[in-house]
Amino acid sequence: MKNIDFKRIALKTLKFVIIFVITDFLFGTLASKLFFNQETGKYARSTYVIKKAKEDIIVFGSSHAHRHYVPEVISEKLSKTCYNAGADGQQLVYHNVLQKMILHRYHPEIIILNIDEEFLFKSNKSNDRLGDLHPYYFDFKDELNATFKLVKQPKDPKLLFKSYQNNSTLIQAVKYYLKPKKTLNGYRPLYEKMTEQKLIAHKNTNFKKEYTKEIDSANIKILKEFINRSKQHNIKLVFFTSPNLIRKNNTKNKSLNLIRQIANKESIPFYDFINNPGYLNKLDLFYDPSHLNDIGARKFTTEVCKLINQ
Amino acid sequence: MLLLSSYIFYSWWDYRFLVLIIASTIVDYFVGLQIHQSNNKKERKTWLFVSLFFNIGLLGFFKYYNFFIESIIDSLTQLGLSVENTWSLKIILPVGISFYTFQTLSYSIDIYKRKFMPTKDFIGFAAFVSFFPQLVAGPIERASNLLPQILNKRVFTDEALSQGIKLIIWGFFLKIVIADRAAIYVNAVYNNLENHDGLTFIAATILFAFQIYADFAGYSLIAIGVAKLFGINLMTNFNRPYFSASVSEFWNRWHISLSTWFRDYVYRPLGGNRTRKWRWLVNLFVTFVISGLWHGAKWNFVVWGALNGLYLIIEVLLFKKKRKGVINIIITFFLINFSWIFFRANNFNEAIFIVNKIFTKPGYLYFGFGEDITAFFYAVMAIGLLILIEFKKEFFNTLFSISNSKYEIIRLFGYAIVVFIIFYLGVFGENQFIYFQF
Repeated sequence: MKNIDFKRIALKTLKFVIIFVITDFLFGTLASKLFFNQETGKYARSTYVIKKAKEDIIVFGSSHAHRHYVPEVISEKLSKTCYNAGADGQQLVYHNVLQKMILHRYHPEIIILNIDEEFLFKSNKSNDRLGDLHPYYFDFKDELNATFKLVKQPKDPKLLFKSYQNNSTLIQAVKYYLKPKKTLNGYRPLYEKMTEQKLIAHKNTNFKKEYTKEIDSANIKILKEFINRSKQHNIKLVFFTSPNLIRKNNTKNKSLNLIRQIANKESIPFYDFINNPGYLNKLDLFYDPSHLNDIGARKFTTEVCKLINQ
Repeated sequence: MLLLSSYIFYSWWDYRFLVLIIASTIVDYFVGLQIHQSNNKKERKTWLFVSLFFNIGLLGFFKYYNFFIESIIDSLTQLGLSVENTWSLKIILPVGISFYTFQTLSYSIDIYKRKFMPTKDFIGFAAFVSFFPQLVAGPIERASNLLPQILNKRVFTDEALSQGIKLIIWGFFLKIVIADRAAIYVNAVYNNLENHDGLTFIAATILFAFQIYADFAGYSLIAIGVAKLFGINLMTNFNRPYFSASVSEFWNRWHISLSTWFRDYVYRPLGGNRTRKWRWLVNLFVTFVISGLWHGAKWNFVVWGALNGLYLIIEVLLFKKKRKGVINIIITFFLINFSWIFFRANNFNEAIFIVNKIFTKPGYLYFGFGEDITAFFYAVMAIGLLILIEFKKEFFNTLFSISNSKYEIIRLFGYAIVVFIIFYLGVFGENQFIYFQF
């Protein structure tokens, strides 16, 4: 090890670390400000739910929840305030942490969880999408770390840095600043109607499923956690599945069957709309084969309210 | 120690294929000594053929066996003969085989040409063949550069250490911030051809040009940086290739270690440019077709190589003087991009489909859907930053530079910013380097 001045290297490394920590703090704080100052968009919605929401009813779920539950209808029919916390592409693991974060601050009266058919199947992508909650890591370390452990993701040391906590949030923030997308208490309506041509195009497209058909035991634990936490806080929990345009044979869907069993065992009301005749083949009610348009969403939400009222 | 760490590194991927590296090492170690010891021309040639046969055979079997079998069967089918394919094998391509076989080949050829003396130090030679930073994706080193550095006592300096770390940081910036981000958009387009039109294909191809550059140059910088930490200097592999004003200049700046390998061990032995003009042009073309085939056992790679060979032939025929200027840089960039279509497409037919769409149906520009909607903008932003930095280096290199500032705090701050950008804008997933597949 000739010509190596270890003392100098150690000093230089220390200087770099200090400068990086300062840089990360200064620019990371700016990135955080930019993130938390968003007024519309998916991050603005999650920030609202985590930091401000006080509504009586919170809706959880993926894009099916986001596009199908109209808080305005719920408020009118149930005389309770409601916020739709559905998040596109997010699965059970995300909803579970989100629930933990919300309950940290307040307890809604009712939680509606819109069940996706593949909720319990193994999906690495859904774990990767937990990245959407990284910006909240500073305030919710325990909640997020516990979830990483549950889905067997190693604790990521990069999360110590503000820069990484806000990873890949810049363009979204700029995008929604330039082109705000207002929501109706979290609900974002789809106005287009499904057509025969779109249906044919859909049938011709081979959708690449990101799920294996293998049940992930971690997801079972997560679902049970979600249920138990609701019970512990005396929150009424209700499960719904959303309507579909095309009939689906789900009798052999292990995920859905297991969720039904768990709900039954835990006395959680479970309402299945997947093959509901009121929606099957009704092009006017859909935006695409699995997403209702605003007309369909209002009809569905009205029926949801009736069932909750029972 | 270096050898052990290299073998552990390779075994991490698949320990079974370590046998191939060891076999290639043993063969060329003995071949090198035999060629050197013999004064008989025929005997020397025979030993050289042993090396050529073994290394090209190894590469041929693992990389090209199925390609040739399937191509022959396809040709027979085209001729109306019904042949059942019972010869194809399930072969895993060993990582780095194209790189280390070329490295050992050059060792034996250089000894045969009396350009280089073989080493008797087997461990040192084995470390040269398997030196882990460049084992799986280059730079393809020459024995004359790397072997003496491994055999002689290495001199570490804290300057080299610092340089190494800087190169590694910049390499990661290229890979994580540019290549992996561009890949999201490029894959979304190139893997769903039916849903896209010409304009989108042009955008995706331009992004791919930067993806492959950032991916491969990024890996090379990381390899060079890591080697520096061991007191070893590897050759430069990329020199701002997209600022080339001609295709021939591009190939002097792109994957330099491979280009010079083909120049020295294929093009020149074929006669190079010191022959009749038509033969010179044939030499150029053949060299590039082989280079295309080296990249992958698929017809689209062969066409990619042939296209570059064709560009060079046209340049030789049309231009007597060295080309310069912005217009030529732009023309060269688009010519290279056109050839990238064949490189990136999943097969030859898809490449033709894309070219056809570009010229017949421009359509509208797709910015993305779902997760790739932001990828396009992130990639464009990062590529813009890269172009700016490389533009400054290319044309105003003497101007102020953060990395060369005399004030240490400015230098450190500059690199802290780069690390910040990596963390803030990078893509963190399990993305492999593109050239690992070659």
